[in-house]
Amino acid sequence: MECSSRQAAERIVAYHAGTLDPQAEAAFEWHLKACAICRQLSAAQQAVWSALDIWQPLPISPDFDQKLFRRIAAEERLRWWQRLSPVRLSWRPAVSLAVACAALLVAFLLRTPASVPTPPAPPQAKFQIEQVEHALDDMDMLKQIGVETTHSRI
Amino acid sequence: MNATSIESRLAQPSWNGRVNSNKPNLSSLDRDADLMLRVREGDPSSFGLLLERHRGPVIHFFYRMVQNQAVAEELAQEVFLRVYRSRESYEPTAKFTTWLFRIATHLGLNWIRDGRNERRQDSLDDDGDGAARQVPDRTRNVEQELVYQAKLGEVRQAIENLPSKQRAAVVMHKYQELEYAQIADVLRCSESAVKSLLFRAYEALRSRLVHLA
Repeated sequence: MECSSRQAAERIVAYHAGTLDPQAEAAFEWHLKACAICRQLSAAQQAVWSALDIWQPLPISPDFDQKLFRRIAAEERLRWWQRLSPVRLSWRPAVSLAVACAALLVAFLLRTPASVPTPPAPPQAKFQIEQVEHALDDMDMLKQIGVETTHSRI
Repeated sequence: MNATSIESRLAQPSWNGRVNSNKPNLSSLDRDADLMLRVREGDPSSFGLLLERHRGPVIHFFYRMVQNQAVAEELAQEVFLRVYRSRESYEPTAKFTTWLFRIATHLGLNWIRDGRNERRQDSLDDDGDGAARQVPDRTRNVEQELVYQAKLGEVRQAIENLPSKQRAAVVMHKYQELEYAQIADVLRCSESAVKSLLFRAYEALRSRLVHLA
């Protein structure tokens, strides 16, 4: 083993962390007996390990869970409202689509008037034409028999 | 969800989530993932069980990272809130504890990066920090207590002086007893990078704390 290498230091860290497998641990302990460098480093690491053990965690606040559940409940309520908003949003494209369709329909109807059935001519117009024809016939007949009409005098 | 309904359904499981050997604790792994999958299916009592199992380790991790109990609990709340929020998309692709500590480390490192610890230091005397709340041990006399508090102060200072990533690695390795591979997963780096981080961190700690032996 190269005792000044980083690998040796890593092995010492693993040894004190208790993560070496039994075989490697035994081999390392055997090596420690013969190697002053590793013994020194191991003692220093042991000192650090023990010093770090001094620092114990503090007790957790008794209302930690309650606070968390309150926050979760608040989020759930918010989520319930947020669930609604996508539904509201989904109407927007539908409304836009409907408006667009209506606009297209109107434009289509305006551009093709022939397709719209024209209402029949009022019967009054036809009656007026016949009246005029009769009047003209009457005038011709009166002319032939020598009666002057007011129209011809004018 | 009714908060009290979750609370009332809390069970009393034993915490055995810490990994302290080369062999992964498969039963614990399966248990956590299974509980999370149950949470995904809408079982709030499983979330209560997860909280019961991991609340302590997460808060203690933060406490040693940020050195303030109130902040540690606040950050831990955020972690569990994120876990709950992610329940619907949760897939057991990694160990639950790895996923949990990844969230925690992300939050802790961000907190340190944002310099909030400096602001916290400004009001250290006012807000009842961990050091001030450390209950004296009745078995020690006054002198022993003073020596203990001095040592504790040195340890805390030594940890705080480490670069944040080294600090996270040491806390996970020493106190949470995570394996190199798991720490690598949490920090999203290689195992050799973790070993390198720990090598440098312990080297620094040895130089600062060796006299405490």
